Amino acid sequence: MIPRSFAKHFYIMLIPGLIWLIFFNLYPMYGVITAFKEFNPGIGLWKSPWVGLENFEYMFELDDSKIIFRNTVAIAFAKMVGNLIVPLVFALMLNEVKNRLFTRTVQTIVYLPHFLSWVIVGGMMLDIFSYSGPVNQILSGLGAEPVLFFASADVFPALIVGSDIWKEFGFNAIIFFAALTSINPEMYEAAAIDGASQWQRLLKITLPSILPVAALLATLSLGNILNAGFDQIFTMYNPSVYSTGDIVDTWVYRAGLIDFQYGLASAVGLLKSVVGLILITVSYALAYRFANYRIF
Amino acid sequence: MKKAIFSALAVLMATASITACSSNSGKNGSNGGSSAAPDSNAGSGNTPVAEEVIDPFAKFETPMEVSIGRGIDPNYKYDGTDTAEENVYTRWLKDKYNIVVKHAWEAATGNDYQQKVSLAISSNDLPDALVVNETQLRQMVKAGQLADLKEVYEKYASPELKAVYDSNPGLLDSVTFDGKLYALPETTLPSAPMTWIRKDWLDKLGLEGPKSLEDLGKIAQAFKDNKLGGENTVGIVGTQQGGSLSSNFLASTDHWYNFSPLFFANDAYPGIWVKDKDGNAVYGSITEETKKALTMMRDWYANGILDKELGIRKSTAEVVASGQTGIFFGPWWSAYNLADSMANDPNANWRPYAAPLNEAGQFNSNQATGSSYIVVSKNAEHPEAVIKMTTLHKWGKDEEYKTLTAGKEMTSQEVPLFLILGAGDQLEYAVNTLRKVLTDEVKVEEVDSINYGWAYEMAQHVKAIKKEPFDNYDIQHFDQQADPGFFTHIYAHLNGGSTFVDANINWVRSIATAQTKTMESRWTNLKKLEDETFLKIIMGSADISAFDEFVAKWKDQGGDKITEEVNELK
Repeated sequence: MIPRSFAKHFYIMLIPGLIWLIFFNLYPMYGVITAFKEFNPGIGLWKSPWVGLENFEYMFELDDSKIIFRNTVAIAFAKMVGNLIVPLVFALMLNEVKNRLFTRTVQTIVYLPHFLSWVIVGGMMLDIFSYSGPVNQILSGLGAEPVLFFASADVFPALIVGSDIWKEFGFNAIIFFAALTSINPEMYEAAAIDGASQWQRLLKITLPSILPVAALLATLSLGNILNAGFDQIFTMYNPSVYSTGDIVDTWVYRAGLIDFQYGLASAVGLLKSVVGLILITVSYALAYRFANYRIF
Repeated sequence: MKKAIFSALAVLMATASITACSSNSGKNGSNGGSSAAPDSNAGSGNTPVAEEVIDPFAKFETPMEVSIGRGIDPNYKYDGTDTAEENVYTRWLKDKYNIVVKHAWEAATGNDYQQKVSLAISSNDLPDALVVNETQLRQMVKAGQLADLKEVYEKYASPELKAVYDSNPGLLDSVTFDGKLYALPETTLPSAPMTWIRKDWLDKLGLEGPKSLEDLGKIAQAFKDNKLGGENTVGIVGTQQGGSLSSNFLASTDHWYNFSPLFFANDAYPGIWVKDKDGNAVYGSITEETKKALTMMRDWYANGILDKELGIRKSTAEVVASGQTGIFFGPWWSAYNLADSMANDPNANWRPYAAPLNEAGQFNSNQATGSSYIVVSKNAEHPEAVIKMTTLHKWGKDEEYKTLTAGKEMTSQEVPLFLILGAGDQLEYAVNTLRKVLTDEVKVEEVDSINYGWAYEMAQHVKAIKKEPFDNYDIQHFDQQADPGFFTHIYAHLNGGSTFVDANINWVRSIATAQTKTMESRWTNLKKLEDETFLKIIMGSADISAFDEFVAKWKDQGGDKITEEVNELK
């Protein structure tokens, strides 16, 4: 059992997150009524006239709506799976390395990209995969025709998902490292005495021990399935990859802030939030059931 | 087990709060600065008696603070420790006229600035004054965010400023809504995109400047074949990421770094509303001519004549500056932006050509509709200070000013709320005057310094900069060191301006210059359809038949209704 005095730390650690939540998530909530109004910034949100469900009707008429929701889910889902499996495998592999200095160094290096903003990483990606960039130089060295990666609607989602995993896997692995260190070493010792091989110990002890953490992370990330990453895609996309790369957030940005279609943009954004709320509720229920994880 | 989850969770929360901080700092940094409401020095002084005759050049009795949003060129180098907010020009405004300019926020000129303005409009968090485009102006008028400038304009505008607007008939009417004057418009210099070519490369290959599209294609091919720009020579460079293929009726961008001329030479006018042969309004992007232009561009792209990375490239300017390309499209003032290219390669001799011509030998261009406007928020405390600033920018240059600035011409990077103001024919007058002053046909004293002050100033410097032969504007015939403060201006006017002034241009205007009712709701969708289809056709990832599908879809998804509305505007 955890002593009460220790548990208090968790509440203190919660404070920054709570403040953030209140200011950036709860307070702007009243803005959702924009979706039911013809918003005029000059007279303010409250005085703007109501238009009922007009914005929603138009949203469902648009072909775009289906495409952007499909793209969003596809990209976010691929990211979710990749961001779970790659860090897990990486953590397991590094855990087997016994040289502490080496593991520490690698850990530090791989989580560094997490702290770079997408503007920088996006620019790097555009350069690396550009027509005369390193990747195409290698390709042409092998005798292949250079490929314009960022103009190809087929390749674009893979680039997005791949670069996101590259940027985040080191950071995501930290949680697995934490879980790995909490496995009782006596179990390994006992298994070794019983003659279990390295591989068997991995399969029979390590994996089952951190599976609850993996399951928990997986279910919790369900709530993020409609967040495909605005900053990232915005710095890398262009019209020729709209068919697979345009997500809800980029579309809402163009409609709302470039073309001043506030109502429509809010309606699409609101729909995203509603679906997101349902998914979070489901993921919470699943997390409770499978990992015995509870907030309240 | 529970402990494992707990400690994992602790890490998770810690990381969550870190990521939360990092991901928000970017977005909110922008909001943070914008709360700089004008300080309340309103109560103090500032009581001009209504009947009093106001001298437009008088110093305000008390400091007038004006907060503005400012577009900044990130590469611009200020003298010493000067900044956009605190420089020779703003100090002069403060010391001599008691006008204190404060920056509510700054953003890089171009897209970043436009987005920041749109954000300010949407959040109704406006500084006292801004420079906006036409769509933004209309949005602000509709939202009732702007101050009526009629009274302060009458009172504080100098006779010279009024004369300029009088010489551009209809200009003030275009920003007067319901009898209220909502903006000070720029006196737009019409601008057609020309083809800029490295003439030193042409000379090297013994080629002539282009006339037809065919010539242009051949030149680009020759530049590429001979690797004049190195291993990865780019034939013709144009649109970059986030840009559009051609200027449209809502955002003209003056045709800088895009592919408008390739459309115009095919008699195609994408992005604007033109008249078809029966006189009805038709959207230029859905015409057969546009299809023809796209087919040609598709071939050029496949042959490597057009930039392989068009539409994806991070920076077109970089390719021009690094000497990787010898051809781009841009208006006469593109010469202002060639400094990097010339610094990297002193031989870089960029010359503009009024080409390519269409089959009938005509040089076409759409008339850029996008313009800049100074607007004043209805909450601004000192709209009169904004009017005065506009006057002073053009007509406040006395001896004291000249000493302060050491003869250096102040640009939009020093001058807050920079607006191009002048008589309708100012460019033509300036170019012709400079030519005549060079050949002593006209003496500097004879230049009309009242109505064409800028031409007069340049005329004083031109002789030190332009070397003989006077009618040859190749770079080697300019002295770049003699008068660095004025070199760029003289070079841009003589090299770029002269070709433009001499060209015989067939102007095509858009019937609509702002969004109609249906456009307001449908345009995002239609624009996306167009951008995506055109880029895919050119880059070969969609068939040319995709164009017909696009036309059908465009009409079906609201295009027909919009065309009807535009027809009523005629």
